[in-house]
Amino acid sequence: MIQLVSQFSSSSSGISSLGLNLKSFIFQLITFLIVLLILSRWVFPRLVATLEKRREALERSLEQAKATEETLKAAEEKADKLLHRAREQADVSLTDASKKAKAVITDAESAAGEKAGRIIKDAQAHLAQEHERLHQELRSELADLVIRTTERVVRQKLDKETDKQLVETAIKELKS
Amino acid sequence: MILLSRRHLARYGAAQLIADQPVVIVARELASVLLESKRAKEADMLVADIAWELESRGKVANVKVTSAFPLTLSLKRDIQKFVKGAAKVDNVILDELTDKKVLGGMRIETATYAWDKTVARALSDIREEF
Repeated sequence: MIQLVSQFSSSSSGISSLGLNLKSFIFQLITFLIVLLILSRWVFPRLVATLEKRREALERSLEQAKATEETLKAAEEKADKLLHRAREQADVSLTDASKKAKAVITDAESAAGEKAGRIIKDAQAHLAQEHERLHQELRSELADLVIRTTERVVRQKLDKETDKQLVETAIKELKS
Repeated sequence: MILLSRRHLARYGAAQLIADQPVVIVARELASVLLESKRAKEADMLVADIAWELESRGKVANVKVTSAFPLTLSLKRDIQKFVKGAAKVDNVILDELTDKKVLGGMRIETATYAWDKTVARALSDIREEF
């Protein structure tokens, strides 16, 4: 091969006419092949393996990211659902609380109204009783006053003749 | 000794008086019974019971008339006549009392009846109405 190379390189036609050094070219080619062999034998597999690992790691990362994103999405949906349910429950609770509050207020108003009615009724009854008692007392006192006055007038004015007429009238009444 | 009730004594006394026994004798008998049974305090009540017995038997009515002024004879006669008819008795003994508290009119009381036609009573009725 060396001979072939020497022969080829010594010829004045061909590649040398292009201004290239064939020996140098072949040498560089061999060097390149050796380097390529070394690289393909020891460097590239490791590099490929490393790249493959990195690719797998990236894929796993992507998958994890996707899974995380899905988990996040699911969590958000779950959170939304929980939030929605919580809002619904809160609305229901608020509605119930509002109804209960209204019922309590209504009951309290009703009870207060009844109590006020009873108090007013009792007061009116008491007032009526007191009015009746005072009226009765006034009547009694007035009657007593009239009778006392009448007694005094009768004592002063009733004479024997008038009394005789009274007795006669009484006897007539008794006989009738 | 048998203890006679006042009612029995009154009946006995009334029966004796109706039988025209002297009042003094009947009174002594009854008084002795009361003294013997230590019931002298019941003398007034016994007299009232005898009056009731006599009146209820239609014999005599002991009438107490109360008025503010003394009654005239005609009024007394009218009262006796009225009581005879009302109490259905043969005789009437009238006791007259004067009391200014009655103001006017008269009050008639017997052992079983009472009629109050006084001014004081009328005023009292009016007071009770009020």
